Amino acid sequence: MALQCASRLVTFTLSLCLASAAPAALRVVASLPDVADMTRQIGGDRVDVTTIAEGSQDPHKVPVKPSFVTKLNRADALVVQGMGLEHAYLPALLEAARNPNIMPGAAAYIDASLYIQPLEVPQSMSRAQGELHALGNPHFNMDPAQGKLMARAIAEGLTRVDPDGAATYQAGLAKYEQLLDQKIAEWDQLAAPLRGLKIVSYHPDLIYLARHYGMELVGTIETKPGVPATPGHLEELIQLMKQQKVALVVREIAYELPLAQEVAERGGAKVVTVSSLTGGLPNSPTYVDFIDANLRALVAGAKAQSDSHG
Amino acid sequence: MGPARSVSRAAVALFALVALSSSDLGHAETQSQEISALKAELAATKGELAKTQSALDALEAKVEALASNGAGAPAAAPPPGASDTARIAPVNADNPGISFVVDGQFGTNTQGEQGAGFLLGTGELFISAPIDPFLRGYASINGTTDQGFDVEEAALVTTALPWNLTVKGGRFFADFGRFPHWHDEALPFVNRPASIDKLIGGESQSEGVEVSWLAPMDQYLDVTVGVYNSMGAARFDDPGAFGTGKGQRSFSELSYLVHPTTYFDLTDTLNLELGGSYLAVPTGAKRGLYGVDATLRHQPGTSEFYQGTDVGVEWLWNSERFDGVAVASDPVTGEAIVGSGRFHRDGGYAYFESFFGRRFSVGGRFDYAENPFGDKDLQRTYSAFVTWKPSEFQRLRLQWDDVGIDGPNDQRFTLQWTAFIGSHSHGFAMR
Repeated sequence: MALQCASRLVTFTLSLCLASAAPAALRVVASLPDVADMTRQIGGDRVDVTTIAEGSQDPHKVPVKPSFVTKLNRADALVVQGMGLEHAYLPALLEAARNPNIMPGAAAYIDASLYIQPLEVPQSMSRAQGELHALGNPHFNMDPAQGKLMARAIAEGLTRVDPDGAATYQAGLAKYEQLLDQKIAEWDQLAAPLRGLKIVSYHPDLIYLARHYGMELVGTIETKPGVPATPGHLEELIQLMKQQKVALVVREIAYELPLAQEVAERGGAKVVTVSSLTGGLPNSPTYVDFIDANLRALVAGAKAQSDSHG
Repeated sequence: MGPARSVSRAAVALFALVALSSSDLGHAETQSQEISALKAELAATKGELAKTQSALDALEAKVEALASNGAGAPAAAPPPGASDTARIAPVNADNPGISFVVDGQFGTNTQGEQGAGFLLGTGELFISAPIDPFLRGYASINGTTDQGFDVEEAALVTTALPWNLTVKGGRFFADFGRFPHWHDEALPFVNRPASIDKLIGGESQSEGVEVSWLAPMDQYLDVTVGVYNSMGAARFDDPGAFGTGKGQRSFSELSYLVHPTTYFDLTDTLNLELGGSYLAVPTGAKRGLYGVDATLRHQPGTSEFYQGTDVGVEWLWNSERFDGVAVASDPVTGEAIVGSGRFHRDGGYAYFESFFGRRFSVGGRFDYAENPFGDKDLQRTYSAFVTWKPSEFQRLRLQWDDVGIDGPNDQRFTLQWTAFIGSHSHGFAMR
């Protein structure tokens, strides 16, 4: 009996030692679900990722919850999509988090926009032009080709914070890039019917996606970025849609559906709901699922519009 | 003479030797003609080589001159911002973030001095910036129709202390309760609740120092301790009254604060924030101010018409000794008896605000306020308000107040127009 107890004690002690010897996972806070998923894909078991915003939320209006403060306070790294997309909530949370290691410019602040060539960089920052992002349109995540660049920046950032895991992150990145390459080839075929399609979006967040798949952006329901529609603007938009024969009104899931439906109906177009973030649409928990769901929705909308016009 | 010239002469000699050795000795006449032709050709080649050598020498001299001192190089265009004589940084390179809030109001009432009038509720210049890697600073300079222009806040805040500590010093709104330390333009109402105005004395404006600590655990717990000359914009003591012009008093006459706050995610969309505050002036137990506050938020994060609701409640108990105030009435004459006395007074408010669409909200508030000394003059105020934001930086708010003190209730209507010039944020504290 004594021998059995001693044996159990030794086993327990050894298991404790082994457990303590295993490297603890890197505590990573991700500002948005897209970069969260990419971090998980690249880092695997080496990272423990917590996400601040959810996919169905408007990234410009994420609530500033104190529970995020404690997560940021204890984080080893922060991954952001960047280019000012998180400006509505992240600066206030970082101010309260008291973690200088993850402040902008610090080594553990991982900016996924590092290799993005920005579009729509404003020439001036007058608010008469709406809520502009000084560094350019930050919705590059909707284009999978930009997603590859985001993944590269994240892998490099994780390696910077955790050099011992460099091999893991490089292997994770290579595998993820291979997956994205394969999916991008499939999506290019899937989205062929979108080429040349004229669309209106609710918020100006489709420019990278439209560039990749050859869609033509005709206008937005918002009067200016972040500024709600006025009756006069909607009338002009609807007339423009009729003149230009706009096929789709693309409503991002964080924005109201009824107004998009009304504009589409009066402008002779179909409404398609997409998400600007991973997880916004049903069954799209990963970045790949998110891109896939958006493109399938757009293609289905284009087909429905084509069928309705004979 | 450079090495290139020696090489060229050797090449010419070699060329001639090869040419001679390859000629046919059996044909003397032909040989003589060929030698003449070759000599002529050699002379011409020498001339060409000399010209080439001359050009090479000139180029070599230029390269050497450029490598040694850059003489002869064309002048480079000056970079933007550089003058002819110096590289000068833009004069605004170190400017902080600057914003200005304009809060205009139009109000009517039915009791007292009845009528209508316009008011500058707030004209707030807000400046903030990091000072160095360890410190940031901010200032709020505020003007109103009632009070003129004043430095409302001017404070320094550490950013890199260990153990999750932050120290703030200067003049600032002390971290008491919830709305007492909010700026007017950040409130969800047109005006500050009367209970706060009476028991705190307006905003919790103070001069002093605060230390706050964030507990290093998953559960959010923040504790602030502070020491100040006094607390309350309307209670700002005249520094001259304390003899030296710097507000000195005994340590026991300073105001001491402790304020823990915590937070719970009840569900994914429902959360609760709780706080407790205690402010004391120890001398003779001059003042003890207790406060509790709770805020329940429903934040579904959807795009539906209903987009969430905030419900908040805050209650204050103040026990304070006042000198030179009316402590009782003469039973015979009815005149006020002036003296020193301790007054126990309460007050607080409860409110809700529901958000609809992307730009609308409606809410209601009940406020219960007693005077801090003398007669209680209990004031009950029922309010309703509707807010519309044409954009993120502009807001119109209409508020109705039913104010009951003595006699018929005063019906007050206020239309508030608020706009934010520049990047304006008071950060996490006024979330």
